[in-house]
Formats: sequence, C-alpha cells, structure tokens
Amino acid sequence: MSLWRRYVPSVLDNLIWFILVGVVIFFATQTDKFLTPINLRNVLVAASVLGILVVGQTFVLITGNFDLSSESTLGLAALIGLFLIVPPGSPTWGAGTELSPFISVAIILIMGAAIGWVIGALITYGKMNNFIVTLAMLIILRGAMLRFTNGQAVSSIDSRPAEIFNWLGHESAFSLPWLGKAPISVLVMLGVFLVAYVVLKYRPFGRELYAIGGNRAAALASGIDPDKRIRQVYMISGFLAALAGWMLAGRISSVQSDLGEGYIFNVMAAAVIGGISLLGGRGSIVGALGGVLLLSIIDRGLNLMQVSVFWIQSIQGFVILLAMFIDAQKVRFRGAVATSGALIEEPELPSDATPGTSAGNPTSTASGMARGDVA
Amino acid sequence: MATLAEVCAMDARTTADDHASDLAIEMREIVKRFPGVLALDHVDFSVRPHEIHALVGKNGAGKSTLMHILTGIYPADSGLIRVRGKHIDGMTTARSREAGIALVAQHARFVPALSIAENLSTGALPTSGSGFVDWKQLNESAAERLGQFGLDIDVRRRMEAVSTAERQMIEIARALFADASVIILDEPTAPLPKHEVQLLFSFIRRQRERGAAFIYISHYLEEVFALTDRVTVLRNGRNACVFETAELSQASLVRLISGTEVERYRRPPRQALGPPVLRIANLTRPGAFEDVDLTLHEGEVIGLTGLEGSGNGALARGLFGLEPMGDGDVTLDGVPYRAIRPATALARGIAYLPRDRHGLGIIGIASVRDNICVSVLDRLRNAFGFLSARKMNDLTGRFIQTLGIKTPSQSQPVEFLSGGNQQKVVVAKLVATEPRVLLLDEPTQGVDVQAKVEILRIIDELTTRGVAVAIVSDELNELIDVCDRILVFYRGRIVREFRKPDPRMTSEEILNAIEGGTERADVAVA
Repeated sequence: MSLWRRYVPSVLDNLIWFILVGVVIFFATQTDKFLTPINLRNVLVAASVLGILVVGQTFVLITGNFDLSSESTLGLAALIGLFLIVPPGSPTWGAGTELSPFISVAIILIMGAAIGWVIGALITYGKMNNFIVTLAMLIILRGAMLRFTNGQAVSSIDSRPAEIFNWLGHESAFSLPWLGKAPISVLVMLGVFLVAYVVLKYRPFGRELYAIGGNRAAALASGIDPDKRIRQVYMISGFLAALAGWMLAGRISSVQSDLGEGYIFNVMAAAVIGGISLLGGRGSIVGALGGVLLLSIIDRGLNLMQVSVFWIQSIQGFVILLAMFIDAQKVRFRGAVATSGALIEEPELPSDATPGTSAGNPTSTASGMARGDVA
Repeated sequence: MATLAEVCAMDARTTADDHASDLAIEMREIVKRFPGVLALDHVDFSVRPHEIHALVGKNGAGKSTLMHILTGIYPADSGLIRVRGKHIDGMTTARSREAGIALVAQHARFVPALSIAENLSTGALPTSGSGFVDWKQLNESAAERLGQFGLDIDVRRRMEAVSTAERQMIEIARALFADASVIILDEPTAPLPKHEVQLLFSFIRRQRERGAAFIYISHYLEEVFALTDRVTVLRNGRNACVFETAELSQASLVRLISGTEVERYRRPPRQALGPPVLRIANLTRPGAFEDVDLTLHEGEVIGLTGLEGSGNGALARGLFGLEPMGDGDVTLDGVPYRAIRPATALARGIAYLPRDRHGLGIIGIASVRDNICVSVLDRLRNAFGFLSARKMNDLTGRFIQTLGIKTPSQSQPVEFLSGGNQQKVVVAKLVATEPRVLLLDEPTQGVDVQAKVEILRIIDELTTRGVAVAIVSDELNELIDVCDRILVFYRGRIVREFRKPDPRMTSEEILNAIEGGTERADVAVA
C-alpha cells in the first residue's frame, strides 16, 4: 500500500516518457528505417527549433500567460538576420549593410527580447489581456515580414558571412559512436533545456514564476513583483524565439514571409502534452522536452511509414487528444492518491508530534519556531 | 458536568423519541472508507422537520463527508438513508435533489453578469410567442416568487451588485421553490460582515416557520447557539452525539468538539512595553481612514476593530502596500516608512496575514514547502546562488514541527489541507520573513476551535521575541483574550481605545463603540 502510494505519483508525473517509449517501440516494429542513426538525428534536428520555442513558451505558461507571437518573432528574426549580412548592391533584397554575422545575430537576439518586453509592458503597465496582445503582435510581426520581403523568398547568399550565420542551424560538432556527428542545433537545444531546468527548479526566479501562476494575488502578497516577472518571461520567450529563428534560417538557408507560420500550434501542443498547465503554476520543463520529442517522433515515424501526408495532421491531432485524455485521467487519479493521505480526514498524529495542541510546551516552541534563521 | 459517555446516553434517549416516519432526514450507521482512512464510522444523523440542526466538528471530523453522502456526491459504503420515512437506496445527486435536499454553498453559484431574475430562471427563460425573451413576465414571476419568501428585492439588478447575504437568501429561496425541504448551509456566515449575519438568520428562521428544515454547518459556536434547535457533534468520524442546543453550554460544546479540554486562550498582558516599533501620525487615505494616530511597541498586541469598511482593514492593507497607504507620517524603528507594494513592506519587516486565505494567502496547487518558502527564496540559496533543497526542507520541516501543521509530506499541495492547517502554512510563511510587525486580518476565520487556540498561542510566542502584532478582527472575545489594547474604528477614525486592565474592556462596551456609541474625547488616550 505504502509502496504503491510512494511510486504512483512519480510514475504519473513522468507518464510522457512511458508514452514516448511506447511510440518508439511501435515505429521500430513498423519500419526498420526508424531506429537508424540518420533518422534519430533527423528527429532531433527537427525537434531543436520547436524545442527552443517550447522552452520560451513554458516560462510564459507557468506564470499563467500565453505567448502566441513567438512564431512571428522567429520568422522576423530569421529574416532580419539574413538581411543585415547582405553586401551592398545585392539585386533584389537585403539591407545592404553587410554587417558582421556576429553583430547581426546580436541584433536579432536583442530585438527578440525587446519585442518580448513590449508585449510584457502592454500586459502589465497597459493592463491588457495577454491573449489579445500576443495575438495582435503575431499579426503585426507577420505583416512586417510581408512588407520586408514583398512576399518573395529570400535565399542565403554564398559568402563567408553567410556560412558563419548558418553555423547554428547547419554545422555539426564532435562525433559520437553509432549516432555520428552531433548537430550544433541539437546541442544548443539540449543546453537551453538544461539551463531552463536549472533556472525553473533551483533559482528563486523560477519558483516565483510557479507562485505567480499558482495564485498571482497571493504571490504579490508574498513579496513577489508579478508584473516585473511577467515582463521578464516575455523577454525570455522573445529572445528564445529569435534564437530559434536564427537556427531555422541557418538550416534551410532561405526565408519566406511565412517562415514559422503554424508553429505555435505545435508549441502549445508539445507544452501541454508535456504537462505544462495552461492555467499556470504547474508543469516541468522535462515534461515539455518529452512533449517536443513525442511530436517530432510521430511526425517522422508517420513519414517513414509512408502514411499519406493528408492523414499525418489528423493523426497528430488524435495523438494530442489521446495524450490529453490520459492526462485528464491522471489528474483524477492523482486526486484519489492524495485523498488517501490527508485530504478528507487528517490522520491522527502521535500527540508528541503536535506541539501546542494541548497545554503543550510553549518554551520549546518559542525557541524552535520561526527564528527563521536559514543559514 | 456530565461526562462524554453520559451526554451521549442522553442523546440516545432523545432520538428514540423520534418516529422514523416523522423525520425529515434519517441516516443510520453510515460507514465511509477512503483508502487508508475510515472517514465515517457508523455515524447516525437525523433532522426533524421544522428544525435548524447544527452539524459541528473540527476540520476533518467528517462533516463534509457526511453531507457529501447525503447529497449523493459519494456513495456510502454501508448504512441507511431515509428521507421523510422513505428509504433511499443508492443515493445519487439526482435522487438527493428529487428527495428535496439542497446544498447552499458558502459562495452561492450564480452568474454575476446576469440579473437576479435571469439567474432564478436559468435554462427556462419565458418567451413570447415569437421566441424572444419575455422580460416583463420574467421579472414579474421572479419578483413574485421571491416575495413569497419575504424577499423584497429589485430582480432586475445584476447579481454582482447584490450583497453576499442577499445572494445566500436568494439561493435558499431558489432551493425552496424548487421544492427542497431540507437545506444544507455550509459555513454561510464566513464571508458575511456581522450586520448581514442577523439578516440572514432572521430569514432562515422565517423559512423554518414555513416548514423548511436546515442543516447548519459552522465553526462559529456563538451562531450555533443563536440559531439552531439541535446540534450533532462529529469527532474523528465517530461519536455522533445529538443535543437540544438549549441544554448545552458553550464550554461543553467546545469540549465535545475537541475531545480534550480546550480552554479559551488568554494571553497575559505585557507588563512593560518595549520601545516603539511602528509610529503612525495623521495618516489619512480619503474614503478609507482619517487622522490615524497609533504607536505599536515591541512585544505588544493590539486589536483593530470596527464595522466592515470602518477603516481598520484598509489601514492594515495600506501599511502592507496592497492598497494605497495614504498620506501621513509613518516611521518604522525610527526610519520613515512608505509601503509601495508588499515586497517593500516585507523587506522592511512588515508582514500581513490576509483575510481572504484562498485569494491572497495560499497557493493551493503548490506544495506546503513552496508556500512556506516563497517569501524568503533569496535566503535559501547556496553559495552558487541556487536554491538549496536542504535549506528549504529544513525550514519547512521546522515550521511543520513547531506549528503542528498536519500534512502527510512537505510536498503535499496546500489545497488538500484542512482550513486550520492552511492558515498555519500562511502563518509559517510570514514568520519565516522574520517580521518586526505582524498585521493579521481575521486570523482565525474558517479555522476550527483547536487550531484557533494554537494560532493565538503562536502569536503570543512571537511577541515574546519582540514582534509587534496588530489584529484586525470583529471576534471581540478573541481580541479581549489576546490584546493589550483594542482600538475601535468608526467611519475611518479611531474613536475609542481600551487598554488592559481597563474593566470596561468587555465585548458589550466595545460593541457599543463599534456601533458608533462614544466619542474619543471621553477616553484617556496615551
């Protein structure tokens, strides 16, 4: 009984990984092309842009907000990043400034964070609804891209600066046994997840985000500045969207005005499948990584099985529903597990464990209590 | 004083007089088991027609479980339920409603943006021949139906503009004209200011005269005596004892509820006051409070009381930075103080326990540990700036131990704790910040008797270490028991001050001042 109670919650919390293993086994039995180094590398590369967007979104979701705009920030950052490194006199497009790719990258990352700050300021200072603000920003930034490209595709030029710019999306680092070369983009994505994990779990900042999402008014009354934190999470989301844009531009070496369009649905799906609550205050970044991998694996696996592209989207939709169904059962089940503890009736503790209940021992309580010395 | 066993024997006599068919509700030998816990152990409970029957017990005694079984939310494992003599097999929510049982929750379930009339006829709006809503008929029938129950209210008002007491009366009326004969009231007065309580009570009494029976769940024992005819006490899911309320004294009821001798907690007044900590001079916030002068000393406990909206609560929230503080001279330890937001107040050593525990106090989905640590995260870091799990566990563990917080683990979500334990978590969070001044806004609201005493004891222990405490409350007996001074607010001003050992520091005298009885001039104010 106690064993059961002890392990069930952690199994429930990590359900996504069990699902993931099931899906991998399924595809491995369906096609022998699935468990190959090249395919697994492709899954991870495909997951890297999505993953970085999901990390940014997770920060925002934990505070109980949305960021619908990140796919447009991604697109605009990719476009401007390429624009700035084009030499003067290029026939149809580009800023003609021929900036160093390092400066160009710095500019788009700062721009991403700045867009996030503007969104956060509108929500906190302007007291506007986060859904509407980010929806408007989604449309505005997409419109800006259309204006800059005049609706045409922009290809990367063949130059040394462009090569450097494409490093993040294109290059590989060291070699691993069996798997082969490790793409930079995958390493960066994993690094971003690692940093996010540490920040959310082990920095006061991260815990404050959970507090804000759990109960914003109580967080305020606990000495947290929710508005400041909300501006900060939008800056993080914008920054990471720009990073993802840089990565994607480097991978495909060209940018169209619709780059990144529709990403937001997968971003939300991956976060929610991974257990991030849309109401805020709940969910871990590890789960979100699981959600990202699940979506990428399903996409890749269905392609390998040569399922008609016309079906793939529907199947993905069903998988999302299925994952959410399991999650809903989990919440109910978790309630039952908690109930068996102290939810309905308090267990009787031995009387010496409850000082102060009777004429008790005020002295020990006074000395032990609340000096709050944490050192 | 009769022993517990004797009074329970008395109870057997009184229930034997009832003929089963005459009872509005009869529950026999109800057993309910949750995994690992026997929540109800052969509990008997009965309600006569035309009576207001109190159901009391500590948090976790089984009151809610029993009512959930009566309303069909959980099935009982075994036992018998009869409603007006008719045996009901396998109680469900639908069968419970059919049988005429209705639950009126603390926060009535209405759509705030719709009018009273619309709320009363949700799902069945009358329409004219052409399919449009017939507003005239809607409003007339709603007004008429409420009129039947003695409620004269403009039914076109939006529900959000209606006071909480009126809302509860409307909900009771709604249940009654849906043919309910037994109404369960779960802590109906907790969200109500004092003067609305009387309004609600007289309404409930009138409905009893008209034939309705009420089950009244409350922690406020004074109300149990003021309102109810009989009382059933539950303890640890057992010991269902029934008494005529009039046969009991408050002390014996407290004893039955707690199962131990709980005395009223009386804190000895401070002999010598410490140096002043918080000095407030001419503090004014138009519309909230005016010309507040007040000095709070180390180790002192003061009570701030008054009618709802008289300025006492606004002062506390202002000093904490939840609302504008207003203009005036405020110094904390001799240094000018201005609250901008709660973070600045906490940084200066002023902590606030909110009245609205669920709204402002706890983060329900977060763990006990996260709730206790949330205000002091910066102090729980290790050398590298990361949160130290060990420090968090130590801090949490110490408070769980010293405050007697009953929780299966540090990672239990706070929403699953009882009200008293939730409140202790909030107290722990505040105390962890090592405050100089503690502002407590209705600290014992919605907390069972035993936890109440424990919380008051914690407050006392803090003062021995020099913390200054101000309690905003209208629980006068509690204030008298723990405060060195009680300040009475009336229309935004402090009109009277009672200081121990003033013999006039009685609840009658204070109540008189609360209602605007005396001017400040006739009292010596130090």
